[in-house]
Amino acid sequence: MSVVTAILIGLAMGFVFGFALEKSRVFEPGIIVGQMQMRNFIMLKIFLTAVATGLMVLTVLSLYGVKMHPKPTLAMADLVGGMLLGVGITVAGACPGTVLAQIGAGYKDAWITLVGGLLGAMTFSYAEPALKPVLMSASSGKLTLDGLLGAPFWLVAVPLALVLIVSLLALERWRPWRNELGERADGVTSEALPPTESAPDLAHTVHP
Amino acid sequence: MSTFSLRRAAWSPYVAGVVIGLLQIPAFLLMNTALGASSSYVTVAGTLASLFDPGITRIEYVAKHLEGAKNWWQVALVVGIALGAMISSRLGGTARTGVSRAWGRVASARPSVRFPMAFAGGFLMLMGARIADGCTSGHGISGIAQLSVGSLIAVTAMFTGGILAALLFFRRI
Repeated sequence: MSVVTAILIGLAMGFVFGFALEKSRVFEPGIIVGQMQMRNFIMLKIFLTAVATGLMVLTVLSLYGVKMHPKPTLAMADLVGGMLLGVGITVAGACPGTVLAQIGAGYKDAWITLVGGLLGAMTFSYAEPALKPVLMSASSGKLTLDGLLGAPFWLVAVPLALVLIVSLLALERWRPWRNELGERADGVTSEALPPTESAPDLAHTVHP
Repeated sequence: MSTFSLRRAAWSPYVAGVVIGLLQIPAFLLMNTALGASSSYVTVAGTLASLFDPGITRIEYVAKHLEGAKNWWQVALVVGIALGAMISSRLGGTARTGVSRAWGRVASARPSVRFPMAFAGGFLMLMGARIADGCTSGHGISGIAQLSVGSLIAVTAMFTGGILAALLFFRRI
């Protein structure tokens, strides 16, 4: 495939991806940080729905013989890298993909997050030859749950997708998504306002 | 207004999740890869760095991120994310300015605090994603959907790190 074709496909797919990220509000720092504070579950809902959909899509594709692309299992790198990634997501209020949606929507600090990300990727690139023997050695191959169980992909993927769907139904019952949006759809809900209503501070009573 | 009108401010997270999950179809069938975002940062950073330091392309890791259609597909994907979000926010009346008001609640919305935080967050995020060889998209959405053991470890670590950072650094609201 030519690079131009690949870029056109990427732009079209990215457009749909960005549209879905914006409409679902998951790119909002208030929703990403809210998830990490375990008070807003919109991120988890989208994430698990996308995983469940992916499991069903890949079940169909696997039955037609389409090749999977699981990443090599590098327990140490996955653990250390995953932790750093998580800390970064909370501090940035973004993921590597959603920061672009923040830029598109107009948040100014997202440009700085992007520059930080590019410098992080550059720093890693220079350090990679030195880090590789430490973090990225001793790969146990591309382990997958179906591979470990010696089962066909669908036999693990379909039940897992069903478990996710049931969990999402329960999650939605517990925390309806409409209550998590906030009136400006940025994940800042009224109970997240400063505690003037729940615990009135008499010394700082506001006179309108 | 219909539930999925382009002019609505918000769609159900379940609809958005299904749309994102369905994007695996063109990713696997047209590009022979899974959805991902963070390796595009290596492609862009490596290209920019090579303008000042041509020697960077001698690093095998960088070289393999600079060649071929798949790398530029992912760069285009993240550019498309910005365009899609821009159009969606204009249609939905949710275009933003400045920084999110959430920052004023959990930390500080002042540029002198928020901008260094954004930079540090971005830096850590990509260092981590590149060490783990994937981010919320590549390990999270795509890796778990492929039942990858490494991705399960990475995503568990990601949420653990994220929750710990929120507990340590932010005000509970």
